[in-house]
Amino acid sequence: MAATSDVCDILELRGEESKTITKARIISEGQKKKPKAKQNAFKRPEGMHRELYALLYHDNMDKPPLLPTDTSLTYQTAKAKLGGCTVVRPWKWMPFTNPARTDGAIFYHWRREEDEGKDYTFAKFDKKVKIPVYSEQEYHQYLSSDDWNQDETDHLFDLCRRFDLRWHVIFDRYDHARFPRDKKRMLEDLKERYYGTCNSLGKAHKQLSEKYDEIVYDADHERRRRQQLVRLFARTEEQVEEEAMLIQELKRIEARKRERERKSQDLQKLIALDTGKDGLRRAERKSNKKKFPGSGSKKDGHGVDEKVSETTYGIKFSDCKSAGVMLRSQMMKLPTSVGQKKAKSLELLLNELKIDQHPMPTEEVAQLFNRLRSDMVYLYDLKMAYANYEMELQTLRYKWDALAPGHLPPVKDAIPLRGLSDSLNINKHTSKTDGENTSKVDSAADQVIDVGCPSPPAVKS
Amino acid sequence: MSGGVYGGDEVGALVFDAGSHSFRAGYAGEDCPKADFPSRIGVEMVEVMETDNAEESKPDKKLSIDTSQLLFPKKGMEVVTPIKDCMIEDWDTFEALLNHAYKRYIRSSPEQHPVLMSEPAWNERNRREKIAELMFEKYNVPAFFLCKSPVLSAFANGRSTGVVLDSGATHTTAVPVHDGYVLQQGIVKSPLGGDFVLMQCKEMLQSLNIDVIPHYLVASKEEVKPEASAKWTQKKNLPDVTDSWKKFMINHTLEDFAASVLQVSDTEYNEHECVNLPKVPYYFPNGYNREFGHERLAVVENLFNPSKVRGAAPSSMLGVPSVVSSSINMCDVDIRPGLYSSIIVTGGNTLLQGFTDRLNSELASKTPPSMRLKINASSSSVERKYSPWVGGSILASLGTFQQMWISKMEYEDGGKSCVERKCP
Repeated sequence: MAATSDVCDILELRGEESKTITKARIISEGQKKKPKAKQNAFKRPEGMHRELYALLYHDNMDKPPLLPTDTSLTYQTAKAKLGGCTVVRPWKWMPFTNPARTDGAIFYHWRREEDEGKDYTFAKFDKKVKIPVYSEQEYHQYLSSDDWNQDETDHLFDLCRRFDLRWHVIFDRYDHARFPRDKKRMLEDLKERYYGTCNSLGKAHKQLSEKYDEIVYDADHERRRRQQLVRLFARTEEQVEEEAMLIQELKRIEARKRERERKSQDLQKLIALDTGKDGLRRAERKSNKKKFPGSGSKKDGHGVDEKVSETTYGIKFSDCKSAGVMLRSQMMKLPTSVGQKKAKSLELLLNELKIDQHPMPTEEVAQLFNRLRSDMVYLYDLKMAYANYEMELQTLRYKWDALAPGHLPPVKDAIPLRGLSDSLNINKHTSKTDGENTSKVDSAADQVIDVGCPSPPAVKS
Repeated sequence: MSGGVYGGDEVGALVFDAGSHSFRAGYAGEDCPKADFPSRIGVEMVEVMETDNAEESKPDKKLSIDTSQLLFPKKGMEVVTPIKDCMIEDWDTFEALLNHAYKRYIRSSPEQHPVLMSEPAWNERNRREKIAELMFEKYNVPAFFLCKSPVLSAFANGRSTGVVLDSGATHTTAVPVHDGYVLQQGIVKSPLGGDFVLMQCKEMLQSLNIDVIPHYLVASKEEVKPEASAKWTQKKNLPDVTDSWKKFMINHTLEDFAASVLQVSDTEYNEHECVNLPKVPYYFPNGYNREFGHERLAVVENLFNPSKVRGAAPSSMLGVPSVVSSSINMCDVDIRPGLYSSIIVTGGNTLLQGFTDRLNSELASKTPPSMRLKINASSSSVERKYSPWVGGSILASLGTFQQMWISKMEYEDGGKSCVERKCP
């Protein structure tokens, strides 16, 4: 193909159509070469797999070659064949006029011959901002102002036209010397005058039916904004650091506040559990009976209720609901949810109370033993909470003392608590009556509230 | 539309960029100027042969332009420069430079090529009109445009807004550019430039008792040990050269010294801290050589810290970082962030080793904390040296620029005052 075209070129024998390359020709040439898809005699029957069909019938139904050949089409990237058979489109150094120019000046540039005489491509980028114009009469009628005279307004509009409303440049080139004033005009003054003028002209020119969209420009607001910006940028390194530090501090304080709220909520739960223990139990009992009439009545009601009430605090023992035979001692097994630390302290306390670690698991003993341990954990939690608050109180007192020495209010009601909490253990040992226990814990909780946190609203079920 | 460049359309324009140190000329659309030769010109007074015409018997000037002619010793040749303070003072010599550029490098007739010329941001109206007059009436150019060189530098760095720090031979200036227009009220100039650095070099070398011998004096030399006195012989039958030419040659030698030895220290210069710095050896043309350690930092420190300059009122000069920051602070507060975030560094003097690093660290401490600081400095020395020319080359080959030219017709209709209106 190429060879023939070369010969043709040399002999200057070429058809009119092959003179120039066009996009359409390049594309059509590529398509011409594509072999036409043969119409298959045998259509793929419904349900036949594509792979199977491809084995039976393919485009080239000749026998496969015995020797490897190079001639067949393989996968290869098709090369674009540009030029080759044609000559390049000629360029010409030609004169042109630019419609964006007003003077019709002639310049020369290189351009394709075929584009000769067409419009200059870049003229369409010539965009101008529309600046309103006014006559002298209009000025006197609508635009006269005490602050601005006509010369100055003219100058402003001239600058706006020249610099296409680039305000910073307009302000920079504004002839302050020609229009001397006591107070130098600022950028906002220029903008205010310009937009004000535009609005007055727009209103004056509009037809009765039309609505004029007023340009809103608040010069005072702009001035204030600029002042703020100046102040923002005028901050020193220290001020910025201080600000950052204060923000950090605020974040810390908020985090502490959240922490305290969380703590007090925990405490509230503890207290609510205790004060509402009896009421809660009653409620639980009712609801329990309503929900599971069968299961509730089958077992010993008392024991079940106890277990349910312990779910919020203390230990939740396993229900032993699994099928099959089991040892009752399984009921007394500490669940894994009780931490090592708690388990350890439970053990210690049981030793202190001289209670067997593994009592004989009769039904009643097992129930009571579980309840005892549950209460112990509950007590442990309360004591921990109390200790935490006392710690916090101490640190706060130290802080106070450090900040304002000598102004520390005396401590009240803090001491009796320790004795009380100690006696709790003994109380437990001697009498296991629920009511007494509760009231003691209650008072302890009240004390804690006095010391540490805002009194929480009692949560009742 | 010429295919290659997006949005480009070349009309065969020429770009001239005349600096006080060198003169750049070339075709728009190319990436570096065709010509870069010194703006200084050697002038000899030659007695003209007796002619019949009595009027022409006054002594004629013989001009030596371009490096090869200028560096050759000639009797009574004075070195003059047409450009002072970046502005054209001596129009005859400037014309000689233009002639030379056309004849030697452009090699085409001026009538065929529109001309874009750079000008300093603080150029005066009468000078602008005069240059337009010169181009249109003397050279008969079809179209002409004057553009402020900071704007062109900004364009060369792909920006239309930014503050252009140009540290050239005579000056260090910072010029804010907003949307392709120079903000005249923010221009800050400081007389600390390349010439100042050369002066400081000279003082330093004098204090070390080193004689700077320019190349032209040296006939032969022998290798000597570092800091040993030089063994060299002076050329015989040298013509009687003028003081100005001698000074020019010494400066020429010092320029090489400055380019190869000097370095800007990273932080404020402190002699004790710099003792451990690697030393740089330098061979002078007469064979004398020695290593320079802390001296090479001390010399340029004055660019950044002019308070240490001897015998100068500190208030009259600003260090390079203060030039930039005071220029930005003179601008409107709304555009300051844009300026801080595109500081364009250009000019041959900024090619001193460590210049931009030091500028960056000093400016960071002067910038308001909430502002983003970014320094744009082209890494190639060609672009840094020729950035106004490169910007001009880009601008003049843009299709959309072709409507901006002052055409010859416009000039003839409107007179030379149209320069003020058409070239903002």
